[in-house]
Amino acid sequence: MSVVIRATALAKHFGGLAAVDDVSFEVEAGEIFAIIGPNGAGKTTILNLVSGLLTPTAGRVELLGRDVTAASPAQRCHAGLGRAFQVVQPFPEMTLRENVLVGALFGTPGLSRADAEHRADEALEVTGLTALSAVDAEDLTLMQEKRLEIARALATKPSVLLLDEVMAGLRPAEARDAIGLVKAVRDQGVTIVFIEHVMPVVRDLADRVLVMDHGKVLTEGRYAEVTQDARVIEAYLGKEDAA
Amino acid sequence: MDTTLLVQALVSGVLAAGLYALVSVGLALAIGVIGIVNFAHGEFFMVGAFLAYQLFVTFGIDPVWSLFIVAPALFALGGVIYTSTIRFVLKAPELNQMLLTFGIGIILQNLALLIWGGDPRTIAGISYRGIGYQIGGVSIGLVPLASFVISLVLVLGLYWMLSSTPLGRAMRAVAQNRTGAALVGLEVNRVYLVAFALSALLAGIGGVMIAVIQSPTPVVGFAFTLKAFAIVVVAGLGNVRGILFAALFVAVAESLVATMVPNGDTLRNAVFFAIIFAVLIRRSWRTV
Repeated sequence: MSVVIRATALAKHFGGLAAVDDVSFEVEAGEIFAIIGPNGAGKTTILNLVSGLLTPTAGRVELLGRDVTAASPAQRCHAGLGRAFQVVQPFPEMTLRENVLVGALFGTPGLSRADAEHRADEALEVTGLTALSAVDAEDLTLMQEKRLEIARALATKPSVLLLDEVMAGLRPAEARDAIGLVKAVRDQGVTIVFIEHVMPVVRDLADRVLVMDHGKVLTEGRYAEVTQDARVIEAYLGKEDAA
Repeated sequence: MDTTLLVQALVSGVLAAGLYALVSVGLALAIGVIGIVNFAHGEFFMVGAFLAYQLFVTFGIDPVWSLFIVAPALFALGGVIYTSTIRFVLKAPELNQMLLTFGIGIILQNLALLIWGGDPRTIAGISYRGIGYQIGGVSIGLVPLASFVISLVLVLGLYWMLSSTPLGRAMRAVAQNRTGAALVGLEVNRVYLVAFALSALLAGIGGVMIAVIQSPTPVVGFAFTLKAFAIVVVAGLGNVRGILFAALFVAVAESLVATMVPNGDTLRNAVFFAIIFAVLIRRSWRTV
């Protein structure tokens, strides 16, 4: 199996606070990789370091074998990285199709207009948004916004897609749809890295789980293994169960 | 009331609106896409005017041809100013950004005063400058008419560029969501650079036209910064599409006051301030 993302000794300090400290992990091609941990564990910071929105204080990030530690978010996108946010980041005054078209056009430099349109329509199809193509992004429901976020990232033809709590705020039926969508995307050959709070979702989706606490890696493994780990139960699941 | 005078004032206002829209649309582009309130915008306009003047005096180049020299020159100047200063204050507080652009404006203005002095400069002896048409007692000068048409073509061209080209899409994407744009492969800084340079280019072309319409001094830029701000405020900060109608409104208001009010010519700048105040106060009511 080839490694899609390799993070080595990543650290990010905000002033005196170590949001992420000495974090290393590898994500292999074709897997669904979950990052879990209590609030403030540094999960989103990890995704920001991997996607280039933040520059690490120390450590390195490799994408498909290439060192991208100093690369801009756009360069990482061109190298095959897609990202969807917990707080959606649409272009509000564009239609859905135009939002996705922007991803297709600029995600792959030099792509022809016709190919970009084709790719945009494909991404809308996969995410079930074709019927809403002409709607402005500011008029969507939360579930539709999350689908748009994924569609736009898919249109950039990523090798790996980072999903930041895409299930947050969704009703159970919508979450089931979203799980189906993530699996469909993986079946197209896209590796998935996701952050999630809802444990049943992690159980249903994740091939492997990275557990973080206070900016450090607590443990890593299959869902069944990590959820039996005493440290994880103490740091994370124990508290959740008590609540 | 003299109807001919009223019609003349309206026609003059409409003709001026083209040039005003051209200058304002560049300012709106900088505000809308980059989020930079550029107080030096009018100075790009002034530099365009004096480049055209100097090209005429030194090389005898007709201002019509100067357009094709000044446009790339101002694009380059805008690019240099963005790269050397603006990009460093993108995340700074707005007050810092405004002080920076204000300072750049003062530097450009003083450089121009050093080079050309404070007297009005005229591009004299070009044949088409005096040509005008009389239609039912209303006179229309060829130069204002041409400047109106050129401006309108450029503003509509910009609108088309924004709505239908990859560069325009990139600008709108960056304007609407900087983070989202970066993550789908847009180099945000490069888009900002082009937007700022384009903004300077549009102002510079306007400057070439004012060098023929009037006899500008190096302080002409400030007057046009003021006009452009009034128009941008009427259109809504950063709203590029609303500029054309806002320019029409502001230019006609200026022309009517200057023509119909006794001693109105001295009140021109007051018109812009009055419009800015009125619009801002009205907007503040809405949000309270």
